[in-house]
Amino acid sequence: MFKQTSLVAAILLSVTQGARALDAPIMGSVQSKCSITTDTPGIYGNPTPSVLSTAAVDGGIEPVVRFDVISADYYKAVITHPQDFSSSPTLTDTVVWNGAVSVSEVSDPLMSGYDAAKRVYNNVTEFDLTVAGTTWFSITSDASYGFDKSWPAGSYNAVVSAECIAL
Amino acid sequence: MRVFLLLVFLCAPAMGHQFTPTYPKVYPSHLPGISKVTMELFNSRDDISYYTIGVFTTNWQRVPFATASKILKVKYLGRETVDIYIRNTDLPKAVYICSKSKTLSGQKQVAVVSSKICSKLK
Repeated sequence: MFKQTSLVAAILLSVTQGARALDAPIMGSVQSKCSITTDTPGIYGNPTPSVLSTAAVDGGIEPVVRFDVISADYYKAVITHPQDFSSSPTLTDTVVWNGAVSVSEVSDPLMSGYDAAKRVYNNVTEFDLTVAGTTWFSITSDASYGFDKSWPAGSYNAVVSAECIAL
Repeated sequence: MRVFLLLVFLCAPAMGHQFTPTYPKVYPSHLPGISKVTMELFNSRDDISYYTIGVFTTNWQRVPFATASKILKVKYLGRETVDIYIRNTDLPKAVYICSKSKTLSGQKQVAVVSSKICSKLK
């Protein structure tokens, strides 16, 4: 009798320990972090023979890049619109570049002040990411070739630089 | 017909790049006169497999450093831990540690986005 009781107790104990072993702890920590994500592909339209433009009215699509920050006041976003092609057909005349960066969407209404507070120099735009959450930035870019010269046929590639710099 | 489309970005949903921690700590290394900083890079860009590491001053001048490889191959959704070694004499001027995406030369992609994330030594 005692043996049987001990056996049952041993089995119960082992089952209980087995159940305990199934406990799967989930651990995590929140730390400041920045993530850069390309959200929408940009496309240059070719409204006239000498112009390439991402503007919708020119048949282009403005690229959108997304910045996620976990904590406020830890990072600034630095976005550079192109001033040259990374690859293109041989160009024999000058290219005049224009561009701008602006906030297109925000996850927190407090981010609405980003545009007013942005700093612009050369082809660079800086935003202090003073609110935690997600901000989408749209980039406009256009390039004009020579004096109303037609772009040579071929494939053109340019780079937009999106940087997240710790403050 | 001439095609003059230029894609500035090649992207799809959830293509990102992370470099943590924001404020890394500096530890002594196993070598005398050399300090070590450990960083982690997460690649969620499926169009990028290579990243380069750089150490810079506050004015974005390059600071000499050593890693196992200055160009890292990180597979899509992969994490890579990087040990960065900086001479103690260079440490006072080292302010930013950055990772930057690299595209392959001659890669037949129609668009490029360069992402760069910099952490700060405090």
